[in-house]
Amino acid sequence: MSRTLRELWGFFWRDLSIARTYRTVFVLEAVEALFGVAMFFYVARFVDSPQLQHALPQGGSYFAFSLIGFVFLDYLNAAMDTFDRSLEEARDSGTLEHLLVTQTSLPVILAGSAIYPFAATTLRIAVYIAWGAVLFGFPLRDANWLAVAAVLLATLLAFSGLGILSASYLLLFKRGNPAKWFLLGVSSVAGGMLFPVSVLPDWLQLVARLNPVTYALDAMRAALLGGAALHSVLQPLVVLLLFAAVLLPASMAVFAWALRRTKTTGTLMHR
Amino acid sequence: MAEAAISVENLQKSFPPARSGWRAFLQPFEKPSVVALGGISFELRLGESLALLGANGAGKSTLLRILATLLLPTQGRAQIAGHDAVLDPRAVRRQLGYHAGSDLGFYARLTSRENLRFFGRLNHLSNTAAAQRIALLGEQFHLADALDRQVRTLSSGTVQRLSLARALLHNPRILLLDEPTRSLDAIAASEFRRFLKSEVLRLGDTSLLFASHTLPEVELLADRIAVIDDGRLLACDTLPALKRATGAATLEDAFLRLTGHAPHLALKDAPE
Repeated sequence: MSRTLRELWGFFWRDLSIARTYRTVFVLEAVEALFGVAMFFYVARFVDSPQLQHALPQGGSYFAFSLIGFVFLDYLNAAMDTFDRSLEEARDSGTLEHLLVTQTSLPVILAGSAIYPFAATTLRIAVYIAWGAVLFGFPLRDANWLAVAAVLLATLLAFSGLGILSASYLLLFKRGNPAKWFLLGVSSVAGGMLFPVSVLPDWLQLVARLNPVTYALDAMRAALLGGAALHSVLQPLVVLLLFAAVLLPASMAVFAWALRRTKTTGTLMHR
Repeated sequence: MAEAAISVENLQKSFPPARSGWRAFLQPFEKPSVVALGGISFELRLGESLALLGANGAGKSTLLRILATLLLPTQGRAQIAGHDAVLDPRAVRRQLGYHAGSDLGFYARLTSRENLRFFGRLNHLSNTAAAQRIALLGEQFHLADALDRQVRTLSSGTVQRLSLARALLHNPRILLLDEPTRSLDAIAASEFRRFLKSEVLRLGDTSLLFASHTLPEVELLADRIAVIDDGRLLACDTLPALKRATGAATLEDAFLRLTGHAPHLALKDAPE
């Protein structure tokens, strides 16, 4: 176990050390976040009305509702994108083969490559929320941080499986991320990101109910805006963890198969 | 009988044909039909240095990549320090250092030391052991000035030496080098070979299998030479024995006679 932790720490330290060489990126991202938050604030001011606030699941302003949808999308994006982006970078820099001839196992290499990007995304989200709270009155006083953390972790675990499936696709076919395209495409309409699913026609509401993103977002808004305790978001948490329990081992098996396939066809380093 | 460092039996490897356009999409599922290795058998003894000599596309890199567990053979068996490369790849990787001259694979924005420390950690070296090995190899490879510089600022010769240092970092018993001096200038290549000879092979506890096109390199470093052509092993012997068998005066002549690439030096002209 301690050996695995040392390996994972090695990956985190590698990515942090690389990120530190791009010193201005963090500042630029923080400024970009400010503009993003401001945009949501003014759009919300334009469309907000008592009727709209009444239609939102947790009540409150459309600004808080849409900002959570937006930052959650960022998190989902990270879970879906991180594995194939790490794989692509390792392939392009020539480090992939050198990682694969070390004594570190494949699951640890995959997990290790994801730690820093997930941490960086969490920090970026915190910056968004902080701008919202400090400058635009995003309501944080009721937030239940333990429940927020649990929902974020369950979301990461649930959607990392899809990210690993995308990386398997990339290994085999060299380009594209169909799982991300499908999930983000469906979720942008039937996931409750920028508008509540109640405004959708019945058949799309059914799609939304089958989409784990809907559960994750509901739980996230309940914990952050409504102050829902851990036991109150237990149902969506269980859905997300079940999703993770099925998808993570399945996606690892698919990735191992895809890697074997590329070792058979000799296309591991092909672009 | 002493255990061989590497034992290869009837190793075969075929690849699916390259496709373009929409048919490239199906390539991962195509049947392998392009033969790269056609049944190769040999042994590398403990402490021995064996060169793989062959033209481009002869199958040298394919063989090394199978031994490094980066490719799966179509048929046959490869054992490294008694471990099967297909059935027990992690045990194999514990014994191996791998360096490919064509693809050095470092994180360009990390320093040499950070890169070595990272790969050392993935090879289960403790911080102390890694620091000691990095200091030792840095001195041996004349990398002391380069250790705290970002890899992107280093010359290709220095990165080449750094790559060999990485291959040796965890003290492997067996070293696989694929065209180790490929992108080095004449002086750097000469220094590199001298280093391999005097620092790595001198002690006799590291077995070396390397692929090369450079005949002086093969003559300097190899105890035995395996001549490969078109995926077949044509001969595997010491340089004097190869010369004797082919009636050639030089390694170049022996290679050309064996591979039949020089009709005027055909093997049938060789003395009995």
